[in-house]
Amino acid sequence: MSMLPFLVVAAISGTASLLVRSRRGWSTSCAVTGLVLMAVTSASIEPSAAIRIGGTILASSEWLRLYALLGSVVGLLLVAVDASAMHEPDVPGIVVLGLGAAVLALALPDPGIAVVAATAGGLAGILVAAPVGAAARAAFVGVRELRALAIAGALAIVATAWLARPTDDLVAVPAVFGLAYLAFAIAVAIRFGAIPFHLWAARVADAAPGVALPLLMAWGPAAFAAVALVWIDQSVAPLALPLGNERSLIATIGAVGVVLGIVAAWIQDDLEHVVGYTIAADAGFVVLGLAGLDPAVWEPSRTWLLVFVVGRSAFAAWVVAVHGGFGTRRLPELAGWARRAPGLALALVVIAVAAVGWPGLIAWQARADLAHLALPDAFAVLVTIAPLALVAIYGRILWIGIRPIEHAVRAGRGERPGWPAPWPRRPMVGSGTIERLFERSSHAFAGLLDVLWALPAATWLNRMPLASIAVLLLAGLAFAVSDGGMGVPQAARAVPVIGEPGPGAELSPSPRASSVATPATTPVITFQPIGGSASPSADGPASPETGGSASPRASGSSKP
Amino acid sequence: MNPALAAIAAVTISGAVLAVSARDVRATQLGLLVVLLEAPLIADPWPDPLSILARIAATLLAVRLIAIGLRGADATAGTRIGWPAEALVAAAAAVIGFGSHGLGAAGLGPAEAQATGFALLVLAVAPLFTGRDVLRLAVGALLLLVGASSIRVGLDPAPSQGEHLVNALLTIAIGGAIAVIATAARAAGGLDAIDIGRPGEAVRRPPDAHRVAEPPPASEPRPASRRAPRRTPTPSAPSPGAPAPGAPAGSRQPGRPAPPRRPSEPG
Repeated sequence: MSMLPFLVVAAISGTASLLVRSRRGWSTSCAVTGLVLMAVTSASIEPSAAIRIGGTILASSEWLRLYALLGSVVGLLLVAVDASAMHEPDVPGIVVLGLGAAVLALALPDPGIAVVAATAGGLAGILVAAPVGAAARAAFVGVRELRALAIAGALAIVATAWLARPTDDLVAVPAVFGLAYLAFAIAVAIRFGAIPFHLWAARVADAAPGVALPLLMAWGPAAFAAVALVWIDQSVAPLALPLGNERSLIATIGAVGVVLGIVAAWIQDDLEHVVGYTIAADAGFVVLGLAGLDPAVWEPSRTWLLVFVVGRSAFAAWVVAVHGGFGTRRLPELAGWARRAPGLALALVVIAVAAVGWPGLIAWQARADLAHLALPDAFAVLVTIAPLALVAIYGRILWIGIRPIEHAVRAGRGERPGWPAPWPRRPMVGSGTIERLFERSSHAFAGLLDVLWALPAATWLNRMPLASIAVLLLAGLAFAVSDGGMGVPQAARAVPVIGEPGPGAELSPSPRASSVATPATTPVITFQPIGGSASPSADGPASPETGGSASPRASGSSKP
Repeated sequence: MNPALAAIAAVTISGAVLAVSARDVRATQLGLLVVLLEAPLIADPWPDPLSILARIAATLLAVRLIAIGLRGADATAGTRIGWPAEALVAAAAAVIGFGSHGLGAAGLGPAEAQATGFALLVLAVAPLFTGRDVLRLAVGALLLLVGASSIRVGLDPAPSQGEHLVNALLTIAIGGAIAVIATAARAAGGLDAIDIGRPGEAVRRPPDAHRVAEPPPASEPRPASRRAPRRTPTPSAPSPGAPAPGAPAGSRQPGRPAPPRRPSEPG
């Protein structure tokens, strides 16, 4: 199955959710239904399926399938946490539409069209960043986000258009390629809010609902970055031009973003700001991936994109659950939270382990590869171990959580499950047998109604434990993805194969074969004929007999 | 030069000049309508009727959304240098864009599209970086994206139907975004949402915008229905008071937010 059903479901359910936004329950129901259907349809996407619409091909891949599946599941859990903790308006519909736009961008093989779709998806997020009825600066926050999105989108559109033609004449002016490459990389940094382009993102992190942050700052920009990776691999890297200055600048932005993002997250008291800056820090590794023109950067970049978006979604969900439970996001007011919410404490530990990792973990390995492919060794080691400082951030939050309970936490909701009301006593008053029989039947029916009528109230009463369960599921998912579960390494390694509708196969954008030694875990990619398996094989180099071709060019050194 | 394309390009640039220089928001909307309607037509060959219809529909929807967001608004700051200066700057940029068609290689699209793109980009810069009301900033963002798309048309082969469809989605998205921002700004008191202070005066950062958090409800659960068994209310611990004005973001603020004050209301 192609990804068309996924896109149709996303468009219909997201639009319906926003159309009934005045009825929040209906809006959430539409979005939840859509996310469930999106998860089902994404699971049935075939990696080599393609469809042509209006002269434009929509192609799927193993990585796209996993992105869509993880996005749907994570979106569902985020909406569940939001519904049980804060229940912000418009968020479910925006999550659905934003995810649909991101998948649409990833399904378009032409980067020039894909960046337009990714920009359109980002614009949808403004609806939750500038809500009507919020404080006066909401419009200012929204317009700053609009400006950042427009600048990033325009840079990417012009960069992709510049190099989308036969470039024989342009080769005489290598600065053109460097300029276009730099423009697209900076556009990605702006979309992520990576330091030093973080000012708009910091305001959005404060204004937007916490549950929408993963979509606004991680999932949407991740699709944008994936398009940039394909474009760089297609249009810039094969030329083997001396782009040392541009790569150094991009690598510097990435490295500075990692280190300063962690420092900024450490000094914040507002948990949503902590989430925002940790996203900015993780995005630094994505920018580092753009600085490495070596084909070996393909796999760790795409691995890290999935690891990072799922991990930060879990952290954002944790913050929303804490905010909804205790009514505050400020750490000084949250003393003792872990005593009243041990489930959330466990979830935070799992999130921390997934985010920091250890040498050998897929997430750690991806970060280390990205740093070493883009930076000199000394700086690469520094940037690789920088995420260890996240232990201090999570440790600080946990330390505050085990301190004696203070007022805000005491007044908030705890995780202890409860039932809305005691069972009413119904004494038997009948004297005759028949009379008592009728009375028992009546009591049994009334007792059943008591249970049925009380279920919604019980759900409402236990929304904190329900939110904790959803956060625990997200934390487990984040750890599984960090550990390479759900086929993340295979999906990141696989080369998409576009099944051209009709006769004549056309290969999709693909990473070039590398002349440098690839890690032992990275098999040589073999292109498969249309309709065949897209999975990589490790039994040798590409051969013409398989119906495809290996990359035309090899690149040289990877150090800027 | 194709005279028909040149004429359409001139009309498009005129619409952009009107959008960035007009003080009346209705004139600004008219300028945006002209830009969004005409820009897709600067292509060689022309888009097929289906693509044109899709772009027209998207444009009408986007401008309608903007009109809803701006309903009742009167004026923006307009341009500081006047429309003749804006027009001359746009004309100069268009000439540069026309003369540099292809940007170092053979352009596969019409030179008029690149000229239009350059003019729109130049016109977008001032409102985008110096605009002090949300409408001007948003107009700058829209012109920036349309200008970039026009440059793409000038450099590359004519867009396919699918690309027109994706561009139509972008048009709707940016129209909706401008409408949301304008609505939020007007609900907060007007389009001038940016307080820059006087020249030389230190700019004080107002409290950040965020939704006001509802307080955690008391231990009494919400009854499911009139039939649901109810528990006798028990006294609960007193809730903490609202933070003082200027309290940092994320602090407890019990109670629902007050409805936005209309600009016409006194006080």
